Amino acid sequence: MPDPSPTRGLRLGVCGPVGTGKSSLIALLCRELAGRMSLAVVTNDIYTDEDARFLRASGVLTPERIRAVETGACPHTAIRDDITANLLTVEELEEEFAPDLVLIESGGDNLTATFSPALVDTQVFVLDIAGGGDVARKGGPGIERADLLVVNKTDLAPHVGVDRDRMVADAEAARDGRSVIALSRTDRASVDALTAWVTAEVARHRAGELVPTDPGPMAAHSHDHPAA
Amino acid sequence: MDHVPTDLLLMLFADARLPVAGHTQSAGLEAAVQHGLTSAEVPAYMSARLATTVRVEAGTAVVALHRLDHELPLEPVVAAWAARTPSHALRRTSRAQGRAMNRLSASLWADGAAVRRVARLDGCPRPVALAGAAAAAGLDALSLARLVGYDDVQTVASASLKLLPLDPAAATGWVHDALPEVAAAAEDVAGLTDPRDIPATAAPQTEVWAQAHARSTRRLFSA
Repeated sequence: MPDPSPTRGLRLGVCGPVGTGKSSLIALLCRELAGRMSLAVVTNDIYTDEDARFLRASGVLTPERIRAVETGACPHTAIRDDITANLLTVEELEEEFAPDLVLIESGGDNLTATFSPALVDTQVFVLDIAGGGDVARKGGPGIERADLLVVNKTDLAPHVGVDRDRMVADAEAARDGRSVIALSRTDRASVDALTAWVTAEVARHRAGELVPTDPGPMAAHSHDHPAA
Repeated sequence: MDHVPTDLLLMLFADARLPVAGHTQSAGLEAAVQHGLTSAEVPAYMSARLATTVRVEAGTAVVALHRLDHELPLEPVVAAWAARTPSHALRRTSRAQGRAMNRLSASLWADGAAVRRVARLDGCPRPVALAGAAAAAGLDALSLARLVGYDDVQTVASASLKLLPLDPAAATGWVHDALPEVAAAAEDVAGLTDPRDIPATAAPQTEVWAQAHARSTRRLFSA
């Protein structure tokens, strides 16, 4: 188990399928939060540093605060089974910059990939509205049990024939009360809701109240155990 | 600690599931393939490494183990290794792998003096980190040298399945067929104790490819 010690900053994971907007969400968070706290980013991409270059080019952080981890074409392994390369990179950034928040972006993988709680304190799973209205209903560990589910690009809903409110309602039903944010970069209120959630997680971590939980790759365990 | 048989220790260290970020490495194969190496040439590539870079790595590991066992300074070993590893990219990768190994060792052998000694080194390369683990676990020099050779061959084979997809049984066949060469390379270096005697057999082509690879922006593997 990681030490949720307030002596280091919060480690926040961002995962979800390819193309749902993980890099853009991180760039958005950097733009919104850079004035308020010290930040660093670790990317895991198919080809080394594609995402790191995107973030460096967006100019939201100084380049040395954005590091890329090679995954040997195993993005799932690098955030779940053998997290060593990511942990070393996070620790390096923490040693050099003592950031309040390290954002770790997973390589775009499938619906079953989630972060090990030994790597991140809290995690966001990102879906996008263009992926189809039924994705949230189908569920999966990240959709159902990540600390936050973001339904991204809601401004595209009318163009892709998806009922935004229905998709969000399905997601909320699948998550049993856990947070859902319907996000669009053009919807200020949704951006504020996201930054408020992240800021609150940083505060919970600092207060020592945040206990990392595993969304699991397995389905939730919910049968009665016979008495021993 | 209770005595653990050598073969079981080797299984532990050589297992791809050992959490030391092994999946990020291709033992230079990705760079070689980008420069035209074909599937049919992979066995020759393995042999070439066993004759060159593996001897540097294995020699460094056994000399470091000797010096740990005799409480001699390790800095000359690191310097000898660096002098025999001209590529900055390869030295950096080896040091990153050394940190990963030391991270694991610190967890498995928290009380091991050898583990603490290698972790204190400035830029501990992978073979020296392995020597620290071997000293703590009770692995002998010949076994350590075999481990370095076997791991190199197996790293090439498993990366080949990502880079040059083929029947995985064929890749395992390459590893099997290379075992006598692994054994011979290990025999050659197992008795070394002096940093000056570590083979200076770097492979210039591998080093050049490694330098180019570190600058490429579309790589799957760290090295």
